[in-house]
Parts: sequence; structure tokens; C-alpha cells
Amino acid sequence: MYLGVDIGSLTTKVVLIDREKNLIAYSYSKTGPAGKETAERLIQEVLGKVDISRDNIQGIVATGYGRVLFSGKEFSEITCQARGIGHLYPEAKTIIDIGGQDSKVISLGKNGRVLDFAMNDKCAAGTGRFLEVMSQALEVSLEEIGLLAEKSQEAAKISSVCTVFAESEVISNLSRGQSREAVARGICEAVAARTAILAQKVGVVEPVVFTGGVAKNTGVVAALEQKLGVKLIIPEDSTITAALGAALLAAENS
Amino acid sequence: MAKKIFKPLKASEKMNKILKNHYLKAKYLPALGKFFGYKTAWITSGAPVELLRAFGIEPVYPENYGAICGARKVSPSLCQVAENRGYSLDLCSYAKSNLGSIWNPKESPFNGLPRPDLLVVCNNICGTVLKWYETLSREFNIPLFIIDTPFITGEPQPWQIQYVAKQIEKLAIELEKFFRKKLDLNRLEKVILLANETVDLWKGIRNFAKNKPSPVNVTDLFINLGPMVVLRGTEVARDFYEEVYREVEERYKAGIPAVEGEKYRLVWDNIPIWYGLYRFYGYFAERGAVFVTDSYTGGWAVNIKKGPPFYALAETYTGVFLNRDLEFRKNQLQSFIEEFSADGFVMHSNRSCKAYSFVQEEIRRQIMRSSGVPGLIVDADMTDSRLYSEETVLNRVQAFLESL
Repeated sequence: MYLGVDIGSLTTKVVLIDREKNLIAYSYSKTGPAGKETAERLIQEVLGKVDISRDNIQGIVATGYGRVLFSGKEFSEITCQARGIGHLYPEAKTIIDIGGQDSKVISLGKNGRVLDFAMNDKCAAGTGRFLEVMSQALEVSLEEIGLLAEKSQEAAKISSVCTVFAESEVISNLSRGQSREAVARGICEAVAARTAILAQKVGVVEPVVFTGGVAKNTGVVAALEQKLGVKLIIPEDSTITAALGAALLAAENS
Repeated sequence: MAKKIFKPLKASEKMNKILKNHYLKAKYLPALGKFFGYKTAWITSGAPVELLRAFGIEPVYPENYGAICGARKVSPSLCQVAENRGYSLDLCSYAKSNLGSIWNPKESPFNGLPRPDLLVVCNNICGTVLKWYETLSREFNIPLFIIDTPFITGEPQPWQIQYVAKQIEKLAIELEKFFRKKLDLNRLEKVILLANETVDLWKGIRNFAKNKPSPVNVTDLFINLGPMVVLRGTEVARDFYEEVYREVEERYKAGIPAVEGEKYRLVWDNIPIWYGLYRFYGYFAERGAVFVTDSYTGGWAVNIKKGPPFYALAETYTGVFLNRDLEFRKNQLQSFIEEFSADGFVMHSNRSCKAYSFVQEEIRRQIMRSSGVPGLIVDADMTDSRLYSEETVLNRVQAFLESL
């Protein structure tokens, strides 16, 4: 059995696969300040689900921002994400991933090989953190932003350049009488606009897979599909694919 | 992972001494030479310094000083001094480090540069230098001499060279008036000869990197570039690079690699991340990645052509790569990749240096499409570490190296 551990800026994910590369179990929770402990707790949780001991684990690979906390093998989340999606969708050509503080677009070759990638730099606008701040400003949960956005035909104009300024824009839009639905839609479109710039850097070739926590947000999915003019494939659980890739790399490198 | 794979050249010690001497001399010569009318000049890195040298002047380079501020990690505080006076965060950090050092010399390397008596600027490297030097001219109330080079698309045309040559000729006349002495043409020829000998050595040192494994890493070139810039056209510089050449040649003959276990060969584009000389570039070295060549220090590997000196200088300084179009820059990078058998390239999108950075994304795209050689862009700044987020940058570097 092999474990993939993805310690992200917001969420930590652990995936267990068997020798035949079948997904056996997974678990995730907020990373919090103690990334390593969170990861250890999740590992125990996953092992507990299938009732096996740590001795049965032949290899672990860590990825994500907390990967250095973890002793042993580590790969960047780009390599892991590509490997995971290459396994789930061998025909995929592009991955759009929006996580807690990162958004990235990966151009895929054969067998999940990374041909090119682009990532947001210096700024977390358009990432999961951006949505989190906006949901607080709207006083709704993260998921609700998507549901609200779907209800509106019009979108408030939200700048996609800076999270802090965008929050003030949300507040001033609301005070000017814009509906929460229109503001929610504006937020989703801001994320899509930001992501589209990244996507154009490496080029969008279908099939395109959308991963990361933000792929669970139906409002962003709709806005991004419209902006890019493509249909996005969304994995069953879009948050664990990099951890899956890490587990696959553990199997290949053990 | 913290293995010491980095092996600086022994010559670096000598380089430190040479630079220290240069700055000491620059500081005390004016005081000692006051009675002989000694003048201090500040000059941009792309200006025809040979002319000043022919007048017996050892000018000072604020850009080199900026690099020193960067490597010593004092740039952010000096930049803040300039920002407090209203200069924008987006302005070149060499300019801001220099301005900051004028207004806060106590916190600056060598307690700041010696006060200049004249300024020479050439806009072949960027437009910012013009405004920077205008500020200096106002600040010190001293003359500013400008050489204006037209931006070259395609090949430089004779009329463009003529236009610059005329200005150099005029500058010579102005300097004669300023220094109250005649330009010694023989001395000018001698300076040009020395500059060319040094350039030949620099080229030779760089060419050793074509071998596998490479005996020289681009960081060696960065570290030892100083004398090439500030002492161009002198015996001190030539003799120093003879020594560097011999050391690299010895490494090559003994099969000593610059980076232990060379796995990847990369090309670097843009000014170095000066405050990351060890941590940032060390990250590559630890993973067996050596930078075999770069466009930045390659800027000093260009000979001054033969012929009438003003025209020859004009041709050289107008043709510098930063004054050329996208096509030229792309072809240059492509030929580096081929000649040095590189597996990839890393471009530093340098917040300070717009002229250098704006075209990178397009060059990267074109090269990746035409040759399939992968390229990575990292966002940072040459000296202002406030614009560098290490975790994010190294994360991308790791992903890039894994994909090679």
C-alpha cells in the first residue's frame, strides 16, 4: 500500500492506494498551524478506515506547501497533480487547479508528463483564499457563493487584481444596492477572469480537467466554462487528485 | 539537502580586493587630487566609458553599486529612503538604492559613493537611466552628458550608427572643455585595445561552459563580473580575467565540474537575483542543475570593432542586446541553448528592469513552440528582496526541474 500526503495552505489531504493503483481510502481536513500533526492524524484516520497498520505502507510521498515538514520523498504539487490527473483521465491535455493560495494551469503530455505550467505569482487574488474572504464579506458559506451566483442573470463588477481591494468593492457594491446574487456572480467571474489569463499563458487544449477546492464551486465552474469556451471535467473529489498523484509517485519510486 | 555543492572560484577573493580598491580609490582620489583638478564621474553600465578613461578618469558605476547593495541585502532599506521621498515602489531598485544611499549614506556600503562632478548616461539599456540621472544632475547641480541611442529593430543601419557617433564626437569636445585638456587619441586606442583583450578573455571563460560537465556556473560569472564593468579598459581588469581564465581552464583540464553531479544544463535570462546568490542559485546546484550561460553577463562579451574609434564605439554601444528587438533577443537565447547544449531556460521577470523583462513571456512561448525546450519564468527583483517570495518561487523551480 502507498500513501500520498498533500499538505496544502488551507487543507491537508491523504490518499491510500494499493499495489494495483486502486484508490482505497482518503481523508482531509483543515491544515491549521500544525501541518505535520494534521497529516499524521489523517494518516491514522485513513489507515483506520481500512484497518491496516503503518507496517503495510511501502512508500509515502509528500507534496504541497507543507511537504518539507515531512521526512522522506517529496514532489512539487505540479508534478503530483499532473500524475494524478494523468492516471484518472489519460486523455486530459490541460489541468486548471485552484487551491487555497495557488492557482495553476498545467499543460499535460503523455502519462501525466508536465509540458508547461503557469502559476499565480506574488498574489493570491483569484484563489480559494480570495473566495473565502469574499464569502465572509457576503456572510455566506463558500458553497453558497456558487449557489447564489447561479440565481443571478447580472454580475457586479469586481476587480480581479487584489483580494483586499476586491473585498472593499464587494462592500461598496452591496451598499449601492446590488443584490447579493449579482455580487456573488461578480466574484465568480473575477476568479474566472484571473484564471483565464494564466490559462492563456500555457494555452487551453481540451479535454480540460478542473481540480482543487474551488472546482467544487458551481459558480466559478460556470463562469470559467463561459470565459474559456470549454467544458470542464471535474473529478469526483476535486481536492484529492494531487495527493493521489503523490501516492502514485510513491508506488513508482518505492 | 544543505550540502555544499557550490564551489566559488578562488579568483573571487581577488575580485573582492579589486572592487574594494576601486571604491576606496574613487572615494579618496578626489580629495587627494583636488589640486590637480581630479573629477569624479558617475556613468551608466552601457555608456562608452572608454572616452572617460582616455581623459584619465576612473568613473563610478551606480548600477554596480546597486548590485553590491543587493548582494549585501541593504537594498530594501535604501529603497525605502527613496520611497519616503516619493519615488514609486515600481521604480528600478538600482536607481532607488543609489538615491537612498545619497540621502542616507551612513546605512550604505562604503558610506555611499563619492560625490560626482559630472554624469554620463546612455539610454541603450533603458529609459529609466535618463530620469534617474536627471534627478542626480538636479540633486548635485552638476552637468549631465547624454548619449541617445535609437532602438534597433532588425539590423542597425549606418545612419543610426552615424547619429550616435556624432554624439560621441560631440561628447569628446564637451569633455575637453570640462576637463580643460585635449583628448589623447592614442590613449583612447590603448583603452579600446585593453577593453577588447578583456572581452576576449571573458568570452573564453564563458565558452568553457560548453563542455560537459561545465567547469563554470553562471553564478561564477555574476560574482566575478564587477571588474569587467567598473574597470573596463584597464590593465587591472585584463590581468584579473587572465587569472580567472587560467583557473577555469585548470578546472576544465582536471574535469572538475562547477556543480557536482551535473544533471541539467540551463540558460539564465536577466539580471541576477543578487540577494539570492547562494540560496536561490544554490537550490538549483543542490539538484544538479548548472547554469551554463546567460544573456546578462553575455552583454560584456562583445568586442569593440576596428575602425575610427567614435564610429566603432557607436556601433558597439548601439548594438547591445537590450537595445534590440524581440527577434534578436529570441535568436540570441535560441543560439545559447544550442551552443551550450542546454535542457531548459530560466527567465527572471525582474520588477526593476522593464526593458529586459517585458518581452520574456513572448520569447518563452516562441522558443518552447519552435524547439520544445522548456522555460520557466520566476518573478522577483534584482536587489529588492521585498518583491521576492522565496517559498512560491522555489516551489515553481522544483516543479520545473521535476519536469525536465
